[in-house]
Amino acid sequence: MKFVRLLAVFIYLHSMVAHAILEVTVLKQDEKAFPIVIAPFEVVGDTKKGQEIANIMRDNFNRSGEFNASSSKDVIYDKIDYDKWRSQKVEALVYGRIEKVNQKVFKVKVYLLDIYSSKELYTKEFSVHNSGIRRIAHYLSDQIYEALLGEKGSFYTRLSYVTVVNKGRGNREYRLEISHSDAQNPQTILISSSPILSPAWSPDQKKIAYVSFENGRSEVFVRYPFVRRKTQKLPYFDGISSAPSWHPNGQSIALTLSKNGNKDIYSYHLKDKKLTQLTFDNGIDTEANYSPDGNSIVFTSNRSGQVQVYIKDLTTGKIKRAIFTGSYNAKAVFSPNGKQLAMVHRVGKDYRIALLDIKTKDLIIMTNNALDESPYFSPNGNMIIFATNKKDRGVLSVVSLLGRETFELASKAGEVREPNWSHYSK
Amino acid sequence: MIKIVILSASVVLLSSCSTVEEFVNKIIGEPNVVTVEDRRSATQESIVAEDYSSFEVQNYIGTNNAAKDAVTELKNAGTNFVLYFSYDGYEIDKKSTEEIIQHANFMRDNPQLNLTLAGHADERGTREYNLALGENRALSVKEILGLYDLASRVKVISFGEENPISQAHDEQGWQKNRRVEFFYK
Repeated sequence: MKFVRLLAVFIYLHSMVAHAILEVTVLKQDEKAFPIVIAPFEVVGDTKKGQEIANIMRDNFNRSGEFNASSSKDVIYDKIDYDKWRSQKVEALVYGRIEKVNQKVFKVKVYLLDIYSSKELYTKEFSVHNSGIRRIAHYLSDQIYEALLGEKGSFYTRLSYVTVVNKGRGNREYRLEISHSDAQNPQTILISSSPILSPAWSPDQKKIAYVSFENGRSEVFVRYPFVRRKTQKLPYFDGISSAPSWHPNGQSIALTLSKNGNKDIYSYHLKDKKLTQLTFDNGIDTEANYSPDGNSIVFTSNRSGQVQVYIKDLTTGKIKRAIFTGSYNAKAVFSPNGKQLAMVHRVGKDYRIALLDIKTKDLIIMTNNALDESPYFSPNGNMIIFATNKKDRGVLSVVSLLGRETFELASKAGEVREPNWSHYSK
Repeated sequence: MIKIVILSASVVLLSSCSTVEEFVNKIIGEPNVVTVEDRRSATQESIVAEDYSSFEVQNYIGTNNAAKDAVTELKNAGTNFVLYFSYDGYEIDKKSTEEIIQHANFMRDNPQLNLTLAGHADERGTREYNLALGENRALSVKEILGLYDLASRVKVISFGEENPISQAHDEQGWQKNRRVEFFYK
C-alpha cells in the first residue's frame, strides 16, 4: 500500500516535471564570439558527473551569446599543449577533475587557462554534494565568465515565468513556474484556472510576488516557493491590485491600486503593513519598477494622452518623462547598474523591446518582432529576457545587449510568458 | 469536410460554456441557474473560423425568473450587452451612450437588479497597462450610469487582455476584444 502511494507520488511528480520543462533553442552562434574549449572533466571513481558538469557549463556559455564554447575530444590532464590550442584559435581552456569521495560527496577541481599567455587565470578546488552538481556547474560558469570578462555571469540564478496550456472546452491552465537560469529543474509553484501575471523575485530570492485572478479579480500575492504552501495575501483593496515590484531592500512592494477608480502607484510595507501613495495623477499610472538604489521608480502613465514612461525621484518627488521617442512606451525596468531602461516600444504597428540610456536618451531597438512584452534584465545586465509570439505561440526570448537574440524558451504544451530573472543567490 | 469542422467546433463552443459559468460565478457570486445561449446561428461560421474558445453567456446570473425574463426581454429588444472601444481608448461614443441609456432605464425599472461591468483590452501593449485600461473602459460606462444615480448598483472589474473573445492577431480580432460586458444579478 505504502509502495503504491509512493509510486503514485513519483508518477505525479514525474509528470509535473515532464510537462513543465521548456525547450531551449540557441538561436545564433556568432562566429566572432569568444572561442573557449570546455573539456570533459577527468573523473576519478565511478561517475558520469564529469561529462555533465562540462556540458552544463558549455551550454551556459553558448546561451550567453558572447562565447563559442566547444568540447575537446579527450579529457585534459595537467599537461597542456598550448601550441595545439593556439593553432585551433582557441583563446581559453577550461578543464577539471572530479573525484567521488563517497556516495554523496564529490571533490571538484577546475582550471581556466589563457591560451595566448599560457597563464592560469582561475583555479579552484572544493567539495560538492551530489545533488549540487548543476548548481556547482552554474557557479563555476559565473566564476569563469568573471575571470574572462571582468564582470559577473548570470548563470547561478533563477527564472520565473507563467505557462498557459489550453485544456480544451475553453479551459486554460495557468502555472507559475521557477527554474534555474538554463530553464532546467523547473518547479511548479502554483496551478490555477485563472490568469497569473507579473511574477517578481524578491531581492533575497526567497519570495515571489505575483498577480492572480483566482478570486475573480486581480490581486497581489506573495508566495514562498521553497516553503511549502506558504502564501501571503496583501490586504483587500477596492478595484485593481496589480503590477508588483520589490523595493531593493525587500521590505516593501510597489503596486498599482485603483482605490476610487483612479489607478495610482503605492508602496506597501510588508511588515509594518503601511501603504504610501507614490503617484497622484488622474490618468493611468502602473508598472512601477524600483531603481537599484531604491531612490526612484520608473512607471507607465498615460498622463500626457499617450502611453509613456516616467521616472519619479522619490527623494525630491520630481517626475520626469524618460523618453521622447515613439508614441507608445511602457513597462520599463531599470538595468542592474541603474543607467539604462529596457521597455516595450512601439515601432509602426509593432511592439518591440528597446534599450534607453537614461542620461543620453540614446535609444536602441533590440528586437524585430510584432508583439514583444515584459522585458527584464539578467542580474549582470548583459541580457534581457522578454515574452513574444513566434508562429502564433507565446515564447520567451533572450537578447544580449550586443543586440543579438541568443536563445529561446518554448513549451511544447502551450504558451510561456511573464518572465522574471532572479538576483544573485546569497 | 468544412461542415465537420464547423460541427465539431460548435460542440467545442457549446461545451466551453461550462468554464464560462464558473468564471462568471466567480465574478458575480454563486448562481443556481446559468443558462447558456445556443450559438448555432448564422454568424457562427465566421466566429468558429477564428476562435474556438469564443463564448457568450446569458447576461443574467441568478435565480429570480422574473428578473431573468426582464433581462432576456431587454436583450431581445436589441439592446447590446457588449460595448466596443477604440485602440487604447475608453471614451464612450454616441452610439454606446444610447445603449447605456437603455441599460439605465432598464435598471430604474428593475431596482432589484445589480450590474457588473467587465472591462477588457486587446493583446497589444503590456498586460498590466491593459488591465488598467480595461478598468477605465468599465468605469467610463459606470460614469454614465452614475448620471442616473445608479452608481451604487454597479460593480466594475477588469480582465485586461487575459480573456480575449478572438485569438486572431489582427484588427478584426482586436476590435472584438476591446470591450465592456454587462452582467445582471
